[in-house]
Amino acid sequence: MSPLRRFLRTPEAVAGALLLAMLIAMALSASLLFPGDPQAIAGPALLPPFQDWSLPLGTDRLGRDVLAELFHGARTSLAVGLAAAAAALVVGAVVGTLAGFAGGLVDEVLMRITDAFQTVPSFLLALAFVSVVGPSLGVVVIAIALGTWTGPARVARAEVLSIRERDYVAGARVIGMHPLAIAFREVLPNALPPVLAMSSVIVAAAILTEAALSFLGLGDPNRVTWGGMIAEGRAVLRTAPFLSIVPGIALVLTVLGVYLAGEGIVETTAVRRGLS
Amino acid sequence: MSGFTISRRTMLAGSAMLLASTAMPAPGWAQTPKKGGRLVLAADSEPRNLNPAIVASNGVFFISSKIVETLAEASFDGKDGLAPRLALSWEGAADGLSATFKLRDGVKWHDGKPFTSADVAFSALQIWKPLQNLGRTVFKDLASVDTPDDLTAIFKFAKPTPFQLIRNALPALSSVVPKHIYEVGKIEDNPANNAPIGTGPFKFGEYKAGQYYRLTKNTDYWGKHEPYLDEIIYQVLPDRTSAASALEAEEIQLAAFSAVPLADLDRISKVPGLKVISKGYEGLTYQLVVEINHRRKELADLKVRQAIAHAIDKDFVIKTVFLGYAATATGPVPKNDPQFYTADVPTYAFDVAKANALLDEAGYKKGPDGKRFTLKLLPAPYFNETKQFGDYLRQALAAIGIDAELVNNDSAAHIKAVYTDHAFDLAVGPPVFRGDPAISTTILVQSGIPDGVPFSNQGGYKNDALDALIAKASETLDASARTDLYKEFQKEVATDLPLINVAEWSFISVARDTVGNIANNPRWAVSNWADTYLES
Repeated sequence: MSPLRRFLRTPEAVAGALLLAMLIAMALSASLLFPGDPQAIAGPALLPPFQDWSLPLGTDRLGRDVLAELFHGARTSLAVGLAAAAAALVVGAVVGTLAGFAGGLVDEVLMRITDAFQTVPSFLLALAFVSVVGPSLGVVVIAIALGTWTGPARVARAEVLSIRERDYVAGARVIGMHPLAIAFREVLPNALPPVLAMSSVIVAAAILTEAALSFLGLGDPNRVTWGGMIAEGRAVLRTAPFLSIVPGIALVLTVLGVYLAGEGIVETTAVRRGLS
Repeated sequence: MSGFTISRRTMLAGSAMLLASTAMPAPGWAQTPKKGGRLVLAADSEPRNLNPAIVASNGVFFISSKIVETLAEASFDGKDGLAPRLALSWEGAADGLSATFKLRDGVKWHDGKPFTSADVAFSALQIWKPLQNLGRTVFKDLASVDTPDDLTAIFKFAKPTPFQLIRNALPALSSVVPKHIYEVGKIEDNPANNAPIGTGPFKFGEYKAGQYYRLTKNTDYWGKHEPYLDEIIYQVLPDRTSAASALEAEEIQLAAFSAVPLADLDRISKVPGLKVISKGYEGLTYQLVVEINHRRKELADLKVRQAIAHAIDKDFVIKTVFLGYAATATGPVPKNDPQFYTADVPTYAFDVAKANALLDEAGYKKGPDGKRFTLKLLPAPYFNETKQFGDYLRQALAAIGIDAELVNNDSAAHIKAVYTDHAFDLAVGPPVFRGDPAISTTILVQSGIPDGVPFSNQGGYKNDALDALIAKASETLDASARTDLYKEFQKEVATDLPLINVAEWSFISVARDTVGNIANNPRWAVSNWADTYLES
């Protein structure tokens, strides 16, 4: 059975993939369907959903189109989620590989640094970093990556520790390859699969962290974010609950989609490994 | 006794009376205030320093004005808009070099010591003038305070000082603290700053960080039969959405300073047992102002500033951001000020085409992407409304081709960025008008203010004509001549636009129907509440 068919046979994976596809479609079509600034004032303030079909999800306190904000928010969420996860995985894999491959003092130093980062709750770290540097999209990505790279680093190191004793690594040494070249050309690619398996969890967590930061007013104010939308809706929670509920549902579905799809991939690959 | 037989007629008459009483506004029905009870209300901030003589701000007054009293309080119907508190009368000398205060007899501090003119002299010379945020400007020429007897304090000024200004400053700037407590040690470090001792109707009880402040009745208060309440509890509710639910659940009886979000007022006004009151803040008008950094070459151009003024739809701001609970502004003095306001100033109607034309004229043509130039916009984080107006302003500027990039900061970082580092192009600020332009308004446009003074002109604006006008007004003793100078001042500010005044707003109280004597003076929320009572 091909991996794709195996993937398609698990219903939760399919559901996740569909949700994810929808999210990606939203993000990609945002500027086609809603050109211009999504924060532009489009109609009367606090219009409830399903009243005016040119503004199907209604408007917020300033009269901005909630649907347009939702689509553009999908972009921010996805961009931040993927960028932060990519940054965390790259940094984690590099640090883990170096530590595992070099061993000795380098290993000790790198792992103690990892410990230090792990002892601080990752959200607190992100909060502190953004408050000091000032909120912008790049800073938010770095802030989230700061708290999440430690997991991949530990997994990569553990994997590298077993791989570096393999024969082909010894062979590479014998032919006089530079140790760094061995680490990154021979060892790292083989240590990568279990690290990548963590990516879905990291992306999901990154999306949530970004939303939480925006909710606390530490997101990039020049971009629409779901967390920011929820925070703004909170002031009128009793009179216009849809302003918080709509982006809240989007957030839940996104995190669920990313997680389910990721789980599906991991399971498919695990079954394949188990079979081979 | 025939009086007890109930006929149909008396029954009807009785129910008609009942109907009439519910229809009538509360003040029309002369009720005798009830004694006793505990008033629980929402507090949204927890000031550390509770000494109103040092920190003259509404956050501090909200709590400490019940403990520490001023010489006079604002009043709706009193002479010059004042009602006596610790001072019974006040008079300025014709030469502007002295002002005489006759003090109330028989007033005692909470620790039992008598209140005398020595306390007033000490507060004025040792605290208001050197230490108080607002007193530094108003009392800068105060040279000495003579105390010929225990009940007379004569302020002597080194330079002629308009008595109109001193009078207008009394409600906010003249908190009197006890000399015998403060004369030992450093005033700023005195423990009484955190547990104030005053002459007010309530004594400081206790403070539990993150939970509550408790004030207890001063049984020795000078006011006859006052205070009515036994206790006031300030329940700390930092989350703005929780005040409304706490009121509905009858956990608190009062939420002042718009602790209930404006968007909730419409709903909450329909809840039985709760009333929404917009009176009682007339003396605490906040102004929504666009602060401008004149160091930016584009913004130094008057045409650009005019264009920005024309790009702002003030009516939309009132309707959408303030949900109608505000008024449009024409200049640096709010419309509701009875003494100084003039409508005779240039105004800037909402006109995007005109704004675009002005920018073209100024030489800032639209680029191929429709943008003329980019600005950094820093909305002050203190109010929901200032933040929302920041969002609106960004859109309004986009409509005239100015790309504004929002920068959000917390309070401390915002004050540093704007007033110390000048790291802004436009900022949205909420300065307060305190009854006289010389107290905290002229400082917003005057030049020569050192870096780091918050809520002052830190935009690098310098206008010699305006500076001269401010200087002249500060030494003009005749009240009507002085008022005319400030009318001139308003005209000059509205013409040259060192900053753009957008709106003026105040606060809303929501209270249970059982709370009596609410909003009976223009600074009610920060007055002493001696006459506030609870019906059971």
